[in-house]
Amino acid sequence: MIRRPIPRWLVVLLGILGVFSLLAVYGGLSYRQSLVNEKQKVIPGLQAFGDGVTRMTAPQGSEETPKPSMLVTDLRATYWRLFLGTGLGVVLSVVVGIAMGAYRWIAAPLAPIISFLAKIPPTAMLPIYFVLVGSDQTMFTTMVALGIFFTMAQSVYQSIVNDVKDEAIDKAYTLGASDPEIVYEVIWKQVLPPILDNIRLQIGPAMIFLLAAEMLVGAEGMGYRIRMESRVLNMSIVYIYLCILGFTGLIGDWCLLWLRKKLCPWYDR
Amino acid sequence: MHALEIRNLSHWYGTRRILNKVNLTIAPGQIVALVGPSGCGKSTLLRAILGTDPPSEGEVLAEGRLVTEPNRDVGIVYQNYSLYEFLSAEENVAFGLKLDKTSLISRFIALPAYLRKRREHLQMARDFLKKVGLEAAMGHYPAELSGGMRQRVAIAQAFILQPKIVLLDEPFGALDEATREDLQLMLLRFYQENLKAKQRGERPQYTIIIVTHELNEAIYVADRVIGLSRFHTEGSQGAMVVYDRPCPVFHPDDPKDLSKFVEQREELRSAVFDPNYVKHHSKYVSFWDELSNDALAVAAMNSR
Ligand SMILES: Nc1ncnc2c1ncn2[C@@H]1O[C@H](COP(=O)(O)OP(=O)(O)O)[C@@H](O)[C@H]1O
Ligand SMILES: [Mg+2]
Repeated sequence: MIRRPIPRWLVVLLGILGVFSLLAVYGGLSYRQSLVNEKQKVIPGLQAFGDGVTRMTAPQGSEETPKPSMLVTDLRATYWRLFLGTGLGVVLSVVVGIAMGAYRWIAAPLAPIISFLAKIPPTAMLPIYFVLVGSDQTMFTTMVALGIFFTMAQSVYQSIVNDVKDEAIDKAYTLGASDPEIVYEVIWKQVLPPILDNIRLQIGPAMIFLLAAEMLVGAEGMGYRIRMESRVLNMSIVYIYLCILGFTGLIGDWCLLWLRKKLCPWYDR
Repeated sequence: MHALEIRNLSHWYGTRRILNKVNLTIAPGQIVALVGPSGCGKSTLLRAILGTDPPSEGEVLAEGRLVTEPNRDVGIVYQNYSLYEFLSAEENVAFGLKLDKTSLISRFIALPAYLRKRREHLQMARDFLKKVGLEAAMGHYPAELSGGMRQRVAIAQAFILQPKIVLLDEPFGALDEATREDLQLMLLRFYQENLKAKQRGERPQYTIIIVTHELNEAIYVADRVIGLSRFHTEGSQGAMVVYDRPCPVFHPDDPKDLSKFVEQREELRSAVFDPNYVKHHSKYVSFWDELSNDALAVAAMNSR
């Protein structure tokens, strides 16, 4: 029967089983590959992963001028870019989206431009960023920020149009609200949950843009490392980096869900 | 001073005239039912009074002050969208106090003072909710309330600021019969409070225009019924006030004696809703005359 409910313990058990069978299948494939070629690095086994971790975490540089390990350097670069870019893009798009939702004379000129630019894949715009902003830190931040700005500004604007009824605004005026109070107490409070959901949805695209840019022009960062290591078939490092990216997305997701529950207890009722 | 005064109000949508020279004065403490065929312009009139859709011609004065945009003098309760879903019941009721009595900046820079006021506001909101029979649901969000509870909260929300007048646009339209009667009783209790305030020589707190399509409801909750309609000798020019008469006042503890309604309901039906019954628009507009006749009669009685 479709949608027949199953008990909670079965959900958990099947979840664990899923993870283990994935690991088992991987182990099997890795073992078979090693029978063909003992030194294979395409589907590395435990031993190879151990070597990868050691190499990743080994301090770089010389005795006198020690540098952090590969992993630390990459994580620091990528997370900083991701954080700065996403933060900037979110703040910008929330401000612009709310301004558009509040004032028709702001929405009228901006809405067509934004909906057009939102349709161009940001990765396709990479060359433009290289030319205009160069290829340093600013470039990565700008491209992540702008990459999510257009879609997110558009959806913030749309949620205001859909969720904030004229009646809600008119009534706030009858309760003595000023214009800034309507923006903060009515519009902002009403669309905070969709905004948080939107940020959640933008983490994925933001990582895509950043990783793509790092693969093309980076000198450090996870995208750069994945490309370099896969060239020499050091797949253990590639897989670990991919896992880290996956967990980053998951944790970001959880944090925002948690935040939404804390800030908007009304939303899930 | 009149709670509300409408002078020669006309409204056009494009070239179509909806309202034609509506004139109306409402005294503090009156509960006025506004009835009329659907699409005749009742909501348009309310939006003009509210100030969200200012009239094409004429003016609206709330206690002598010209209404040009929505403000705290005129309150509103809608049929739907009546509450802010991100605020609990008590926060919804306290919302007006927060917006009207404190400013956005002071909430941030003078936080301790604001928090003190906030506690008072929430206490006032809870007291009002108790009065409308909602002490059990004060911390609940609108999504957790039934339709009838939501409308009670919305009514408390509008009245707590003590506006000059509150407009109710088909407030009970989506409720089931029993809930509807509970809410009608609540309005009757408000009316009794008005009478007591008048006896003490105070300004009555509840002045209401309630739009309804239920003639029984109109006669039951109001002390005055106004009919808006196109069915009169100037009909092509839009709706006018074609009916304005007092109606019997019920005490909340009285039984709802339907026989008292029959005559006036038939009168309303023909005067306001019957397209074939064309008459001069002022034929049934006699509220203030009837009132002053009563006053004269009372004066005559006293002088005897
Ligand atoms: N914004 C508008 N633009 C054009 N016509 C409108 C608008 N709002 C209402 N109308 C028309 O005005 C008439 C009166 O509407 P309304 O006041 O909502 O009627 P009621 O509330 O009495 O049912 C209706 O015929 C409606 O179609
Ligand atoms: Mg209407």
